Amino acid sequence: MKEDILLVDDEEGIRKVLGIALSDRGYKVLTAEDGDGALRLFRETKPAVVLTDIKMPGMDGIELLKRVKEESPDTEVIMITGHGEMDLAIKSLKYEATDFVTKPINDDVLGIALKRAEERLSMKRQLREYTQNLEALVKEQSAKLIESERAAAVGQTVAGLAHAIKNIAGGLRGGVFVVDKGLELGNDQYLRRGWDMVKKDVARIRSMALDLLNFSKARCPDYQLADPNTVVREVLGLMGPRAAKYDVTLDAELDEKLPKIWFDPEGMHRCLVNLITNAIDACSDVTCADRKGRVVLRSFVPKSQNYPAGYEVEDNGCGIAEEVVPLVFHRFFSTKGTKGTGLGLMTTKKIVDEHDGEIEVHSNHGEGTRFLIRFGRTEPQVEGDGVSSANPKGSRIA
Amino acid sequence: MGQKRILVVDDEPHMRIFMATLFETSGYKPVLAKNGAEGIQKARESTPDLIILDVMMPGGGGVEMYRQLKGDKTLKDVPVIMLSAVDDKTFSHSLKMFRITENGDLPEPDAYVEKLPEADKLLQIAETFLLNSSVNVQE
Repeated sequence: MKEDILLVDDEEGIRKVLGIALSDRGYKVLTAEDGDGALRLFRETKPAVVLTDIKMPGMDGIELLKRVKEESPDTEVIMITGHGEMDLAIKSLKYEATDFVTKPINDDVLGIALKRAEERLSMKRQLREYTQNLEALVKEQSAKLIESERAAAVGQTVAGLAHAIKNIAGGLRGGVFVVDKGLELGNDQYLRRGWDMVKKDVARIRSMALDLLNFSKARCPDYQLADPNTVVREVLGLMGPRAAKYDVTLDAELDEKLPKIWFDPEGMHRCLVNLITNAIDACSDVTCADRKGRVVLRSFVPKSQNYPAGYEVEDNGCGIAEEVVPLVFHRFFSTKGTKGTGLGLMTTKKIVDEHDGEIEVHSNHGEGTRFLIRFGRTEPQVEGDGVSSANPKGSRIA
Repeated sequence: MGQKRILVVDDEPHMRIFMATLFETSGYKPVLAKNGAEGIQKARESTPDLIILDVMMPGGGGVEMYRQLKGDKTLKDVPVIMLSAVDDKTFSHSLKMFRITENGDLPEPDAYVEKLPEADKLLQIAETFLLNSSVNVQE
């Protein structure tokens, strides 16, 4: 079955003759005697091809061509021109006519024009089909990909978790063994040592569970108007004893010009605790450096206008091997062997992400590591919890 | 005949206490070190009958200490049990790679035990070496 074709000419004779010629070629022919009638019929029947006279009373062929192309760019329009209407014919090509045939109409010329129209139609159809297929294919493949990535992520998470739990369970078993020996031999020293090990592992499990819980919750930062330096001072007070125990100097360099800003003090507190814990671990790693360990915690106003506040944690510890740096924020990645769960930096990054902040790491193997966080807003959050944070409990000022 | 000395080198306090208790209660004298540098020093001081060495320690780790041990005239024949948190195959592969870079002149450790070891299993392996060494090394 060939295409529907709309034949438009004000001369009845031409409509009749051409109509028969087109029917003979297998087309289903519709006819109209002027532009308005043609347009109406076009809208009703949506023929694939329009064959129209250029010169007609009222709306002429060029105008009809423009309207048809506007409404349906894929329709092929062939113009019929009289002698000496070459200008109009060329003009029609500018408006995307498929071709033109001159009166009196030569059957072969008409055949060529129709063939061209059909080729163009079928090309466009194929193109559309390919495009749609391609889109469907892309959709299908990406759905598969996402699914498999999700499965892989779950697998990794479970594997990482199993590993972390296995480590702690192994530690507990060691503790239990020592306690058993204490009981068996009535040895108080073993008892106390073993009990101490058990307690430490219980604390590790608890802290890991908290980290996990923290991580699994998609938590919205509790924005408060607060002084970023207050958080730094709290963290310094908290981490001081740990640093001293590992014989690491913990210094602070605060930018007192930092304004009060909107952020989640508790979240940032956790980030800094994680970063400083890592920094102290890196410094107390005696195998790589015999210098005295030093950790510096800084607050600063970032140069970029995007964030009102920044923290920096710098250590002169072992540094991170270059090839490992891209992995440090990954789930369950740890450089601390059986001691690390790989949750600390992952949680830290998550908190920073939830703040729409940024975190970066600079490290030179053997020289030390620097973590930078930029975060905060100068305005309270507009939507949702903005109301509750309008009355900030964060007005605790140092 | 004095107590046999076992040098335990591990950066984790838990592991040190666990192994110390294990060997102490089995009639041996544990000597503890928390890293490779300390391990080498204590090995030279006490000439142990057996060394248990954690591979995965920060920095150079156990492998570096192992290399030093094997380069030391008096210590090179002391049996070494390597402790590692990774599984058997991965471990021996990485060790092989390591020995290749060392021009192949580094012998394999006498035994390998996966962390965290069962008390009985570790003791059993340790004792096979301690019984052997009473013939070979004891002066």
